[in-house]
Amino acid sequence: MQSNAAFEYDYSIAKLFTYTTILFGILGMIIGTLIAAQLAFPELNYMFGEYGTFSRLRPVHTTVVIFGFTLSGVFATFYYVAQRVLKVSMAESNLLMTVGKIHFWLYFVGALLATVSLVLGFSQGKEYAQYEWPIDIVIVIVWLLWGVSIFGLIGIRREKSLYISLWYYIACFIGIAMLYLFNNMAVPTALVSGYGNIMHSVSMYSGTNDALVQWWWGHNAVAFVFTVPIIAIIYYFLPKESGQAIYSYKLSLLSFWGLMFVYLWAGSHHLLYSPVPDWMQTMGSIFSIVLILPSWGSAINMLLTMKGEWNQLTDNPLIKFMVLASTFYMLSTLEGPIQAIKSVNAIAHFTDWIPGHVHDGTLGWVAFTIMAGIFHMTPRMFKREIYSKSLMETQFWLQTLAVVLYFTSMWIAGITQGMMWRAVDEYGNLMYSFIDTVTVLHPYYAIRALSGVLYLSGFLIFAYNIYKTITSSKRLTEEPQFKTPMA
Amino acid sequence: MDIRELQGYANFFLTMFLVLLLYGYILHLYRSEKKGEKDYEKYADMALHDEISDAPVENNPKTKESKE
Amino acid sequence: MFHWLEKNPFFFSVGVFIVIAFAGIIEILPNFAEASRPVKGLKPYTVLQLAGKEVYKKDNCLSCHSQMIRPFKSETDRYGQYSLSGEYAYDRPFLWGSKRTGPDLHRVGNYRTTDWHENHMWDPKSVVPDSIMPAYKHHFTNIADIETAYAEAVTVKTVFNTPYDVEGGTKLGTWEEAQKMALEEAKLVTADMKNKDVKDAVESGNIPEIVALIAYLNRLK
Ligand code: HEC
Repeated sequence: MQSNAAFEYDYSIAKLFTYTTILFGILGMIIGTLIAAQLAFPELNYMFGEYGTFSRLRPVHTTVVIFGFTLSGVFATFYYVAQRVLKVSMAESNLLMTVGKIHFWLYFVGALLATVSLVLGFSQGKEYAQYEWPIDIVIVIVWLLWGVSIFGLIGIRREKSLYISLWYYIACFIGIAMLYLFNNMAVPTALVSGYGNIMHSVSMYSGTNDALVQWWWGHNAVAFVFTVPIIAIIYYFLPKESGQAIYSYKLSLLSFWGLMFVYLWAGSHHLLYSPVPDWMQTMGSIFSIVLILPSWGSAINMLLTMKGEWNQLTDNPLIKFMVLASTFYMLSTLEGPIQAIKSVNAIAHFTDWIPGHVHDGTLGWVAFTIMAGIFHMTPRMFKREIYSKSLMETQFWLQTLAVVLYFTSMWIAGITQGMMWRAVDEYGNLMYSFIDTVTVLHPYYAIRALSGVLYLSGFLIFAYNIYKTITSSKRLTEEPQFKTPMA
Repeated sequence: MDIRELQGYANFFLTMFLVLLLYGYILHLYRSEKKGEKDYEKYADMALHDEISDAPVENNPKTKESKE
Repeated sequence: MFHWLEKNPFFFSVGVFIVIAFAGIIEILPNFAEASRPVKGLKPYTVLQLAGKEVYKKDNCLSCHSQMIRPFKSETDRYGQYSLSGEYAYDRPFLWGSKRTGPDLHRVGNYRTTDWHENHMWDPKSVVPDSIMPAYKHHFTNIADIETAYAEAVTVKTVFNTPYDVEGGTKLGTWEEAQKMALEEAKLVTADMKNKDVKDAVESGNIPEIVALIAYLNRLK
């Protein structure tokens, strides 16, 4: 025991990833807001010539928020949380420190290159898997380095059992490794034929097979980037910030296995009414609905953790962020299965209801949780209190309003469009030409663009608050155990 | 038996198997706690008392405390 | 019996892997055994069409357009015969898309023509005044990468046995032959176009992206 005193937790890697979380967050959200506005005001497509159209920027937005913002947040919290729940410092192993540093720098450089490659138009053409093969190789290496960090830290741990957050981090690591590798299997054409651009490749799978693998990935990228590691984050920060033990640790273990087992089956709900085999579509639907159980298991567990302590909700904006995040998690895990019901899907698929669903998950649940994590970590990593509580409050309400505007406008837009596509007159002829179903969406697209502006403003306030915290807030003499101090 | 049928059976039995396993796990969690063999709730403490100088909930015998 | 899970990271990870790999093994692998069979009469893409498909991917038209007609009357009325698995046999990657900000394009070749596309891609609003589709003027100046398209055709031919240079398939030939054929095909497209610069470029042996793209769109039937 006494020897531990010589060590402190080493947050240098966690700090680096915190910076990139904020950097990629701003970048991804600016682009997101821009492309939302382009749908309402198409003239905005022509600001950067060929590189500024909606279609070129859309994958940049998605990949920057997924692989830039979210993964940075996951890594930052991992390098913070894992040391603490394992009660071992990175500084105890030179090897792990080195691996951590390489992990960060390779990740950062890789992410920048990847983003530039998409802007230039190098794309495999698969959603959320656009990166061409040389970038994929960098990503695989980055991922393996993270694996070394995870299992390296576990290898030298003092705490024998693994805290539930680590279960989720490990699942994220394994899940993404498997899915990413399989989905990105491609043959570089220049290497086979000796002709053409070195970046270009063709998918190993064709047509329907490719679609199956893609949505097996597409759906589970959501599972293993937007759900699993975010649960890891909130299972640490919510109890720690509130000083309340998880409501039921057993329930968290159960929901974990339930989620692992069910989630992977649900991927084919993206392919309802498509030429993939019928029984698979049905499985996709059924399992999507079963998925409510483990998802709500986790969400209820988080909310009940606050049992008897609801007053903290008014005192502590950080708790507010996390409770709202859990609530949005419940909302989107209910909404998703509803969309996977075949008859609902017939209307919802291909419409804006789907991006609406994605964003109440990502803006409401993922980003809120990550920001709460950063609010909790920053004072401890930099030994200063949070710069401004009132800015936090402002940010909270701005962003909450933004999320609500986003999903309500997209619900209406999606259902309107879905219904109009299928509307027929008394003779059975289609009632609307396609363009009718586009013009009717204009007000909703405008509202969504506004919601983007609001959310982005909130995020800029967040960035400013963190910046001021790091540079000029009041110093802390000792580390607070639970509630984060703020001015 | 064609591949589709095989796929159907494999799916059914493996799902059953995993469902049983999951139920087994639930039973195990609650039973072993009732019998007093295990206390799962104490693990929640790992997040609350996570200073490097705090005592671990369970010591890892593999890491020798005096290795430095 | 489950105790070791909490304490043994190795077995824990193996457990997670098995549970999550399980769905993939059952759901996906068997479909690979049943190789995706092309519908009768389906031919692999020509090199020019592949170059057009490359433009479609590069400018990511699939962010707004699907290529997958579902079996509903409202869709078959609007777009034509619903899509069959075998029609996609040579699509690597598949380009079904997931969002219809614009209409489905799987059979657009049946009802839109070269000159329509020419006007529409230059300025969608000139054809459909309320359109929110971006104009793609740069397709008229950027030169299509025929060599990479050729490389792709050679690759799928050698690695996946896509029927090029066989009876009933598509002719590919050597790089020189392929270049010549692509140019011939491009001239057929530009015959229906009016943009002078594009026509001149093709005459001098360079194929602008728009020509390849239209060749691809016309093939979608
Ligand atoms: C911002 C979304 C968006 C993007 C990106 C986009 N389109 Fe469109 N597209 C539309 C909309 C909306 C329409 C319907 C109005 C119209 O015809 O302009 C349309 C219509 C079309 C049509 C006419 C289809 C028909 O049945 O009338 C074609 C062809 C087309 N787009 C091709 C393309 C190609 C090729 C690209 C990529 C270079 C592309 N589109 C990118 C939104 C988009």
